[in-house]
Amino acid sequence: MHAEKQHHAFEPKLVAFVCTWCTYAGADLAGTSRMHYPSNVRVVKFPCTGRIDPVFILRAFQKGADGVLVSGCHPGDCHYMAGNFHARRRFAAFRQLLDFVGVDLDRLQFSWVSAAEGGKWVEVVTELTERIRQMGPMREFRELDAEEHWSAQLDEPEIRAAYNAIP
Amino acid sequence: MTLTLDNLHRLIDALLAKKVRVVGPKRTGAITVYAPLAKGTELDLDQLPRRSAKEVFFPPCETILSFEKRDGKTTVSDPDLDLLPETVLIGVRPCDAAAPGILDAVFSWDYDDPFYLERRKRTTIIGIACTASDDACFCTAVGLAPDARQGSDLFLVPLQGGGFAVESLDAKGSALKERHAALFSAGSNAQPLPLAVPAVDPLDLAKVKAWLDENFEHPLWQEIADRCAGCGACAFLCPACHCFDIVDEGGEGSGCRRKHWDACGFGKFTMHASAHNPRDVQAQRYRNRIMHKFKYYADKFGQTLCTGCGRCIRWCPVGIDIKAVLDEINGK
Amino acid sequence: MTSNHQNTETPLIDPACYAAATAAIRTEAVRLLVAGEVAAVVGYRAGRRTGSVMPDVATTVEAAGQLLFSPACQNNLALFLSKAKREVLPHGRVAIVVKGCDLRALAGLIGESQLRRDEVHVIGVACPGVFGANADLSKPLSAEGLARKCRACKVHLPEGVDLVAGTLPPLPDLPDLEAEEIARLEAMTPQERWAFWTEQFSRCIRCLACRQICPFCFCTQCLCDRNRPQAVDTSPRPAGNTAWHMVRAMHLAGRCSGCAECERVCPMDIPLNLLNRKMAQELYELYGFEASMQPQEQTPLTSYRDNDDQSFIK
Repeated sequence: MHAEKQHHAFEPKLVAFVCTWCTYAGADLAGTSRMHYPSNVRVVKFPCTGRIDPVFILRAFQKGADGVLVSGCHPGDCHYMAGNFHARRRFAAFRQLLDFVGVDLDRLQFSWVSAAEGGKWVEVVTELTERIRQMGPMREFRELDAEEHWSAQLDEPEIRAAYNAIP
Repeated sequence: MTLTLDNLHRLIDALLAKKVRVVGPKRTGAITVYAPLAKGTELDLDQLPRRSAKEVFFPPCETILSFEKRDGKTTVSDPDLDLLPETVLIGVRPCDAAAPGILDAVFSWDYDDPFYLERRKRTTIIGIACTASDDACFCTAVGLAPDARQGSDLFLVPLQGGGFAVESLDAKGSALKERHAALFSAGSNAQPLPLAVPAVDPLDLAKVKAWLDENFEHPLWQEIADRCAGCGACAFLCPACHCFDIVDEGGEGSGCRRKHWDACGFGKFTMHASAHNPRDVQAQRYRNRIMHKFKYYADKFGQTLCTGCGRCIRWCPVGIDIKAVLDEINGK
Repeated sequence: MTSNHQNTETPLIDPACYAAATAAIRTEAVRLLVAGEVAAVVGYRAGRRTGSVMPDVATTVEAAGQLLFSPACQNNLALFLSKAKREVLPHGRVAIVVKGCDLRALAGLIGESQLRRDEVHVIGVACPGVFGANADLSKPLSAEGLARKCRACKVHLPEGVDLVAGTLPPLPDLPDLEAEEIARLEAMTPQERWAFWTEQFSRCIRCLACRQICPFCFCTQCLCDRNRPQAVDTSPRPAGNTAWHMVRAMHLAGRCSGCAECERVCPMDIPLNLLNRKMAQELYELYGFEASMQPQEQTPLTSYRDNDDQSFIK
């Protein structure tokens, strides 16, 4: 572990893309049932997992997410009949692409959580949070973002530090 | 005045030891591009770099300001251009060396662009004559030559038996030579290697311009545009193309405004905020490319915005050959 | 027939087959134009430089007589019938010269309702192979100059076309370098793969030649050109470049015809076809899908089955 990491304990930043009708309701149920789970997750609500474009997952990682969760209705229960069937195929393909380019798939979790499964929501989020905590922050995209073309570089350590300070 | 190849490498090493950034053609993986050298032997004089030398003065992407919001206050900072490094650009063929001199006019026209001009001020260009060319080259047709000194501060001519004859063309060149005088030797009797003169038909640029002046609407533009795919390969590889886009990137808390290369061939290049697009078909966009290079730049600055390097011909995905287009216009 | 080393005197593939294809294309093109069956023939004609060719939209008998087929006929002409090239179809009914890989793109466009089969007269070429990127077109075709995609080609002979131009000569048996490269990458750790790809993408200047040359990139407004919202940064920095290439590979998954033009036209020699071929491999393993010379009603990402794999979903 680097000295800077021990300075303050790492709190994973998780983004969850969830569908309104099942997983969001399930997460709501966990809340009304007063179930405790890590507050690291930021939830983004979609009408359906079929609306979740793989580019959102990429954008989340680029903007500093250490882990991403995508969750929706169980197959057969989609509010829009087939949205999650299309999503299932899309994400199966996207995972292979991410893996091929070298993104660690352990940072990306998919799940089916229904409106009644408050407990499952807690389980999925807790497990992902702890896994990411062990893995540490996702450095790959952040390091990329700090790279400049050589002719645009100004040779100054302060500039480098300023980039590193960008959250 | 001559310089052996070994001493050329030593010159680079000596400059690096003085913390001068040395940029030259360098092989990275399968291709050669202009890049900072870590030592003299990295210099690759055998290939024309894939991209032109314009990126030394006009980076593909650069930050022009950054902002940060903290505790309700927003701070905007400009990059400190005084931190731009002293640079020697070495191993530049005439088609690349001549371009910055052509671009100076537009970058100091209605606005003195400090991002470009500061880099120009701090860079010394060591040009080299061409002893190898291919059938895409046409520098001689646009007023240059394989040994044109235009744009170089120091100029190297490869000699039989190795090494180079060295000419100093201005104060910058002389100063560089003086600082490393020990590496240079007296003139020799060695003959220069034969120059690679492109075997192309000459062009009468004045005649081409006269035709362009009169033929804004002509079926030729549609014929070429039928093929043009509207990418930016020609513009981005070209030593003389210089259009750019300005974008804001980042988030609510912090971000940057950046300037990056743009191309008039792109469909959205002239898209207005109102959604009107004055060049919304490829024929208009391709016409603009030729007009800008061979008419508008001449009208405004008295120069041709093309050095005949041939990169656009080699890498056009659909085989559009600008020399063939110019030949056709020249013949009308 | 195997030929493992290349004698520069003997071409890799008998040049007579290219000449025969040329003759057949010219005859057919002239016939179609004279009979008024088509208003234009999209094919290839010679360029100024030795050995070079360029796409041509031949509307006259004279131009049709100049059409040819040679190892330099790299372009996928199906591009010219897509929505992105609005200039060509307004001529009227057109004929088009296609290699097997190009025909798969044409079939894909028909499958996506971008084109109707009856709008187009298809001249398929029995193609033994073409040059790859950066090849010297003035020299004879060699194993080094042959496009990587041609080593793995299964569509040398077009099917379902209106005319097959030429016949196939004996074909060389060469190792599938692209498959070997994919296997090499798959054997690496994710960190090694990330290092490989970020180094490749750091050379990208966002010239978008890969997008513009692709017959399937015909969206009137590309997602990556929008800035409200900004899904992918437009500036040519490593982070945005990585996102750009991944988004494009994803948008082509299940559609890409494997013509590898994107890789050929990249001025920075980024091996883009590895991404597309990998996706094609995955979609074949997952859903049994392959690009085809016949239009297909369903593509893998616009259809589904109840029992699709969900082993990765909790």
